[in-house]
Amino acid sequence: MNQVDCTIIENRELTRGNFLLTLRVPRQFSKPQPGQFVHLRLSTDGEPLLRRPYSLEGFFERGRIRAIRIYYSVVGRGSRILSMHPKGRELDLIGPLGVGFQISRKKKTSLLVAGGRGVAPLLFLARRLRERKRPHVFLFGAKSKYELYGYRDVRGGRLHLATDDGSVGYHGSVLDLLQREWEEAGHTPDTAEIFTCGPHGLLHAVADFARDRGVRCEASLEGPMACGVGACRGCPIPLRPEHDGAGYPAMCVEGPVYDATAVDWERLP
Amino acid sequence: MTPATKPDLRVRIGSLELRNPVLVASGIIGYGREYERLVNLGAIGGIVTKTVTLRPRAGNPPPRVVETAAGMLNSIGIENPGLEGYHAVKVPILRDLPCARIVSVEGEDVAEFCELVRGVDASGVADAIEVNISCPNVGPHGMRYSTDAGNARDVMTAIRPLTRLPLIAKLTPNVTRIAEIAEACADHGADAVSLVNTFVGMAVDSRTRKPILGTVLGGLSGPAIKPLALAKVWEVVQAVDIPVVGMGGIAKPADALEFLLAGCVAVEIGTAMFADPGLPESCVAGIADYVRGMREHSVDAVIGAMIVPEGRGVIRAGKAQRENARATRAASGGSS
Repeated sequence: MNQVDCTIIENRELTRGNFLLTLRVPRQFSKPQPGQFVHLRLSTDGEPLLRRPYSLEGFFERGRIRAIRIYYSVVGRGSRILSMHPKGRELDLIGPLGVGFQISRKKKTSLLVAGGRGVAPLLFLARRLRERKRPHVFLFGAKSKYELYGYRDVRGGRLHLATDDGSVGYHGSVLDLLQREWEEAGHTPDTAEIFTCGPHGLLHAVADFARDRGVRCEASLEGPMACGVGACRGCPIPLRPEHDGAGYPAMCVEGPVYDATAVDWERLP
Repeated sequence: MTPATKPDLRVRIGSLELRNPVLVASGIIGYGREYERLVNLGAIGGIVTKTVTLRPRAGNPPPRVVETAAGMLNSIGIENPGLEGYHAVKVPILRDLPCARIVSVEGEDVAEFCELVRGVDASGVADAIEVNISCPNVGPHGMRYSTDAGNARDVMTAIRPLTRLPLIAKLTPNVTRIAEIAEACADHGADAVSLVNTFVGMAVDSRTRKPILGTVLGGLSGPAIKPLALAKVWEVVQAVDIPVVGMGGIAKPADALEFLLAGCVAVEIGTAMFADPGLPESCVAGIADYVRGMREHSVDAVIGAMIVPEGRGVIRAGKAQRENARATRAASGGSS
């Protein structure tokens, strides 16, 4: 982890309110793992006051150039300011931070369950799985076709899409896709593991699905953070009673990827 | 002197000499390790640790932080490993820090404060103790000892004989007359007071009709509180003769200077450091530049150098004036 200056290569609106941000990073920025995040300072004039954590969609090296990609949606003050930054603008970044997805050493099929912009770290993971020649299935659900982006990058694995309004793919929840995939392909806890990211409601449901079947399942969580480095203890992950130890793990250093079956989703907003 | 000369930035808090007046506030930097790759601790005066309580605390349910206009509300709830964990895990970290180590403690009652002060003193790595009698996020006991002068006196009187380390009482701004609390601390053994802790605040999500923080109420920090903090500092500076350590919303070197000019011997950097880990170091540089700009040799020339028209801005008669008045009344046989 380092604090570095990066430069905006591209800040493009993919669909209404949903952006792809590409940042050139210097050599001091170490190679990130899928699921890790960066803590971006969006302005130096104190508005917004705090950095914002963004999960990485990818890390690319071409010759001497290193770049990271981020998907974000305009949901509040910080992301609105970010959306107005032009190409060439410098931003201060701390990262890569947190722990990413852990792929089992034993060769299993990875089921990637993405909801909305939660697709970002899973696209990064899918690329990693492809490099390692690991079988994987990508399940991606969103409200409508306007929230489905980036999936054209998914190669080397099967891809299933779902939209709430039926505008593309299966008309319904990505959870139904998971259910169907599980049954039709005959996955078992020995042969498959689940990686998921998206709205916490979806993650809760995926975690329940995994716990009912005894499947290994990791979720990438999202929440407000202050320091991003484990000092302020501002981003606790509530755990289910059977996993509850002395305290809360911090989302920024012990997460953002965490064992989904251990999280107490009722207590996580 | 030539402008290139390095000004003397050393300040004293009781028997503790700091290489410069810039500290990192409690709860910002943990016990030093979390930020070691981002902050040059060798360049700043010191750090105040995350508060240590007698027993481990898990802290409050989420969400614990939310950004508000020019500020941040938090309700962390002093998540910490307790005194035993402090000895086992944090003391070895603190031992190697290249700056002053001020250990913050919070007890649920006077007896706990005593045990904590004894324990931290015995740990051998503390250069001073900040007595956190002002946390708004740990239930009723959190602010009990800094919202009542009698309670403040009780805790200071009890802990003073237990250590020779400088004791810094950290005060809450959530009182009508903060000077009274500061005086009670000063009169009963505090070597310094630090202020302000956070202002009690809350935020509501109008879409869900729910409070945003898990505990409903929290503490407000950040640039939004700086003018409020300065007014409290100014009130206390006029009331006590012991050093005052100022904090609240410092986000740039000029903010730190405001606190020094108002009479603080040192400042603590808090929330704004989350965005800018280099802020403490840039404050040190900014203070040095300012001293040079005044054509002075020492930061002493800045402390309390605010130019105030005679009789203006007096929040309350100073301590010396009141003692004078008391003595005059006694001499004239009046009852007081």
